[in-house]
Amino acid sequence: MRNLLAFFQRFRIFLIFVLLQIVALSTYVRYSEFARLQALSTISGINSSVMSMRNNVVKHFNLEGTNKQLAWENAWLKQQLKLSNYQLKKGLVAIDDTLYKQQYKYIPATTIQGTFDKRNNYMTIDIGSNHGIKRGWGVFSSKGVVGIVHTVGKRYSLVKTILSKNINIDVMLDKGGAFGLLKWDGENAKYVQISGISNDMRIKKWSTVSTKGGSGIFPRGIPVGRVVEKRFMEGRPLWDIHLLTAVDFRTVQQVYVVKNIHLDELEQLQEAIPADKEEEEL
Amino acid sequence: MNVIVSNSIRFVLLVLVQVLILNNLEVGAGIYPMLYPLFILLLPIEMATVTLMFISFFFGLTIDAFSNTFGLHASAAVVFAFFRPLIFKLFAPRDVFETGEMNAMNLLTVRWFLVSYVVLLFIHHSWFFIIEVFKWNEFLLILQKIILSVPISFGLSLIVRSAFMDKSKKER
Repeated sequence: MRNLLAFFQRFRIFLIFVLLQIVALSTYVRYSEFARLQALSTISGINSSVMSMRNNVVKHFNLEGTNKQLAWENAWLKQQLKLSNYQLKKGLVAIDDTLYKQQYKYIPATTIQGTFDKRNNYMTIDIGSNHGIKRGWGVFSSKGVVGIVHTVGKRYSLVKTILSKNINIDVMLDKGGAFGLLKWDGENAKYVQISGISNDMRIKKWSTVSTKGGSGIFPRGIPVGRVVEKRFMEGRPLWDIHLLTAVDFRTVQQVYVVKNIHLDELEQLQEAIPADKEEEEL
Repeated sequence: MNVIVSNSIRFVLLVLVQVLILNNLEVGAGIYPMLYPLFILLLPIEMATVTLMFISFFFGLTIDAFSNTFGLHASAAVVFAFFRPLIFKLFAPRDVFETGEMNAMNLLTVRWFLVSYVVLLFIHHSWFFIIEVFKWNEFLLILQKIILSVPISFGLSLIVRSAFMDKSKKER
């Protein structure tokens, strides 16, 4: 009898242990499905204000670099202005709104907090559904691709950065145009990988890689990084390509969120493609 | 000092240190120092396991809320709390549980206590990194993270100990 009681005593502790584990792990695995659980992340009330306070202190450490970067971007943008260009064919070149209509709009944002050493890395930015942000939109900085909006709060949102397990952004080599999918092996925040490029392509070291713009999340041609290494993949006719990322995730502060006006139309069209099992495996 | 007061202060301080400093350290090579298990370790020894697990769960959730991990730290903290009495029974001499209250910070100088802390940290870190990565073909990465992070977390705890120990009541 005494043994039985002792057994139940032990068993009760273990039962509560299992119960707590189920609660914790189910929130960890499936948090994105529950809007309520936003209270448990850095985009909710008190937490975001603590993180903003932290950012107010830390942002000054990077001020010089951020200034340089913004000045550089200003200069680059000024070069694009009509004023700084010499007109080659007078009278022929005209900006006409009936020929060019805006497809992408950019919403500037500031990063508040972010990680770069986990298996999946997230970044908090200071705009949310109040500013019209939606899940699945692209995020980039003046240097290159940062990630994709993952969870949207009222005033803040979470961005899943390209330093994540299954980010799968479609990218292409600027020379040659071969395209593949972006991956990250979790080892070093400076290097990301591309899979799906056939190994009969000739690829030079330091050749640039940018977004393909196929899924409508990013416009075509936003830099992703430069090729530093290519290896043979065992048993498959593909290159395993390693890229040096264009963005330094330790210092990124100013980002832009991409709004694609044609996104709904694109998605409707692509939903009409019948599912193919072989394609899913890739 | 009252046990509740001192543990509450430790709660707040360790959350702040973990969230504002350690989460932002960039050491590289997959190292992620975690100081917060120290709070669970230093809760009173005679506390019942069930209470211990519930406190650890909420403590872990607090850290989760600040580091966007949604339950990962809570899960690892509960594992730490579940194994604490078992490991203590394994390493502690018999009379410890009878003498009752000891100053928790001074306990950190006792050898069996440190040994059980290392073992618990190892269990905690293993659980944390295995759940975080969750892929067996990245086993070497998990192993590297565990082996490099445990000594650093432990070293940090020793530094904290030397800063806060009550020197007049030092016990050997």
